[in-house]
Amino acid sequence: MSVAREAAESFDWSEVASLRIRSRLVAEGVYAGAHRSARRGSGIEFGGHREYVAGDDLRWLDRRALLRHGRLLVRQFETETDRALRLVVDASASMGYRGEKRAHDSKLGTASLLSAVLARIAVASGDPVGLTYFGGEHARPVAVAGGREGFERVLGSLEAVRAGGDAVRDPALLDRALGILSRAARRGSVVVVMSDLFDMPEDAPERFAALASRGRSVVVVQILDPDELDLPFEGTVRLRAIEGDALVETNAEDARAAYRTALDELASRYEGTLVARGARFVRASTGDDPANVVRAIIATVR
Amino acid sequence: MRYQWAVSFVTALALGIALLVVAPLAAHRLRRVRADERPFAPAKLVPPAPPRARRRAKLEDRALFGVRAAAIVALAVLGASPLVRCSRLSLSRSSGASMAVAIVIDDSMSMRVVQAGRSRFDRAKSAAVELLAGAREGDAIGVVLAGAPARVALAPTTELDAVSSVIASLRESDRATDLDGAVRMASTALASLPQVDKRVVLLSDLADGQPDAPPVGEGSPLPLWAPLEDIARDASDCGILAADDVGARVRVRIACGKSASAAGRIVEVRVGKKVIGSATAQGSDVNVDIPKDAEGGDRVAYLLGTDAIASDDAAPVLVASSASIGVVVEAADETAVTGGPPVVEQALDALRTDLATRPMPAVPDQSSDFSGIAGMIIDDPPGFTPEQRRALGAFFDNGGVVLLALGGRAASAPLGATLDPILDHATTWTPLDAKTTGVAKDAPASFLGEATRSAVDLDAKKRTTIAPGDLASLDVVLPWSDGAPLVAEKNVSRGEGIVVTLPFALGASDLPVRPAFIALLDAFVASARSHASQRRAEVGATWSLPSGVTAAVGPDGPVEIAREGGRAKLTPALVGAYRLTIDGKQELRVAAPSAKEIDVRPRRVRAPEAAAKLGATEARVDASAHVAVLLLLLLFVEMILRVRAARHARAA
Repeated sequence: MSVAREAAESFDWSEVASLRIRSRLVAEGVYAGAHRSARRGSGIEFGGHREYVAGDDLRWLDRRALLRHGRLLVRQFETETDRALRLVVDASASMGYRGEKRAHDSKLGTASLLSAVLARIAVASGDPVGLTYFGGEHARPVAVAGGREGFERVLGSLEAVRAGGDAVRDPALLDRALGILSRAARRGSVVVVMSDLFDMPEDAPERFAALASRGRSVVVVQILDPDELDLPFEGTVRLRAIEGDALVETNAEDARAAYRTALDELASRYEGTLVARGARFVRASTGDDPANVVRAIIATVR
Repeated sequence: MRYQWAVSFVTALALGIALLVVAPLAAHRLRRVRADERPFAPAKLVPPAPPRARRRAKLEDRALFGVRAAAIVALAVLGASPLVRCSRLSLSRSSGASMAVAIVIDDSMSMRVVQAGRSRFDRAKSAAVELLAGAREGDAIGVVLAGAPARVALAPTTELDAVSSVIASLRESDRATDLDGAVRMASTALASLPQVDKRVVLLSDLADGQPDAPPVGEGSPLPLWAPLEDIARDASDCGILAADDVGARVRVRIACGKSASAAGRIVEVRVGKKVIGSATAQGSDVNVDIPKDAEGGDRVAYLLGTDAIASDDAAPVLVASSASIGVVVEAADETAVTGGPPVVEQALDALRTDLATRPMPAVPDQSSDFSGIAGMIIDDPPGFTPEQRRALGAFFDNGGVVLLALGGRAASAPLGATLDPILDHATTWTPLDAKTTGVAKDAPASFLGEATRSAVDLDAKKRTTIAPGDLASLDVVLPWSDGAPLVAEKNVSRGEGIVVTLPFALGASDLPVRPAFIALLDAFVASARSHASQRRAEVGATWSLPSGVTAAVGPDGPVEIAREGGRAKLTPALVGAYRLTIDGKQELRVAAPSAKEIDVRPRRVRAPEAAAKLGATEARVDASAHVAVLLLLLLFVEMILRVRAARHARAA
């Protein structure tokens, strides 16, 4: 059984079961779900009365109100549409990195776990889930589907994917994923992007932020290894980028402060761009408790 | 085909040491490869280290590694108690007892010859240092110098630091060589020491101008070792012995070694840098014509060309002496016996001096009458008149020398006539007792040499007695057998007075017909010549100077003047001009090279085959102390490097 499946199966749903993905925006979905839809029509929940006007469908005439109050009133209903959860997982080579001591898993492993958890929540809430990658080997995108079957498909895809691909050498890698997504994701969809955001094209923040148009909720989750947060090395080191050809020789102690500043600047740029377009940004580490990360993600979606 | 391979213990040890040095280097290199390069996704966000920091880290690593490797090697070498075989002089010891060694160092002019980039004198000094390095506690070492006259630089002592200091202070000179005198002096210095093993080490090129003389050290009671065979070689040299201004020309006298010739070499006369005359040498005497309008100033003659010794290729030009000897003798006393010129004049002729003899009827009473006179012989004068005294005073002021024989006439000088400025009191003409016939048989021979013995029985009936008040100012150089002065010297102003207490008349004694008389006149003439206004003498000969001399400047700067009992002496060690300040006036003297010293042919040494038992030119020196010091230094350097590295890390 893969790590993702194990974690998903063993995950304490009690903590997050009450955390259901709710969208602030009314989503047009295929199935009625727990989210409010912009369209009003027949649906599951009673949404009030209005005076009958000629031409209204008599099927919605409230006979009880007529008998009680002698008035001709027509029922109104709120339709709850399903909010598709579209997971976008960065499976490029850099996501395969795992630090020496403090990480629970590689960045891709952690992204897979988080994705599986979110998928389960979505499915439990009656929302379909779909999965897209950029980069990766054996990466099989999963079309949006609901129910247990949809969850299993997502889980199976997450289990099979391996880190691979070079976003530096293949700039179109991001294009392919986001292009499909921007066309397919409907209004009200929740798009969660899991990536370390390293070696992305310069306009990546803007492109992620653009997904937040058309009523979509976008959350970009930057997943980093603890080593990538701290630069814990000592003495003179030669650091080779996993994607691209960058090779840097430096003294770790001397470079640490400047590196952290650069890392914070990268995160700030993404966050500023995303927030300005109504998207959200979450920072996570492979050493963090996944439940807290999921809560943080869900909190941004409410 | 069979191969045999044997590894000795030393080889295995060397391989082990090499491994200790190489292994850390290999580990260091491996560690650098594995540890330094690692995958890191955000590498582009990491700033590279500044070049200085990278270089510093590299330098510190490499420097530290280098120091550690050197320390390991030094430790291994130290453990092996290294013995270094080197080419250096060492004395052989027949037993463990201490020895007494006299090191004779030749500081003569021939040792200036340069061989293999260094002078022979430097070679001798280095050899002395090497010998001293092999000395042990309890060894007595003395230093004797073989430049003429031979002298003891340091009496034998067990204070090896003192010996080292004396050797370091030695300088080259232009003296002649006195090997025999130096070896004798060395043997004498060691004679009284308690050490059984005594030897003399002669560090010389053995060139004393007597290549055919008996071997050096023959007859010496102590073993003699002359190890510097590499410098005992002939060399080609010519030098200027004298340069005299004889009016319209300068006469230059040249001497050459046996294998050299000055023919064809140019002789120049210069005033400063300006050449005022030149000629090509054909033989040993060269005449250089000087134009009448030539520039005035001090003239120097140069022998152009390159030869073994450079210091003898230049000589100051002196005005040729045309001085003469004035003779004041009562002729009537002499002609009655010999029927010819007075005995004094005949004796002077026999000396064949280059100073003319000028008979005078009386002591001049005018200063100008002393012009051209280098010395005066005054035989038994009846005192001096005031005018004569003044003129004599001026003569002495100009450096004149007077040989004053005193007899009956001097003792009966009339009133107003005294013997001033030589003697302040009257003399007496007194009979000799029967026991006093002349000088003692063991009288000091320093003044008249071998001829002293001829003055033992002078057949004199009377002699002059000098007043006690005058005796204190006289230096008795030859006493009667009863101690009274027969010959005495006295410095008078810038000149000199020689007093004889017998007159030169044959009727007074046999002195005029004894060899002692010729020797006396020879010493007087030499003194007169040396007191001439411009004087030349051989390097190493001591100048007796007037007490009024206050300063002397030689070719190398100020020269020390020795003072003994009111007399001033100076021994020039270098060829060239010496300017003396005497009573405020400048006087020029010239030190000339010895002709014998220009012959650089080496002399034989006694029993060279026995020398091999006395010492060797190879030694095995324990270098452990040096390696230990090096190891300590390396550990200190490593400590400093580590402290610096720690400071850098803390700063980062």
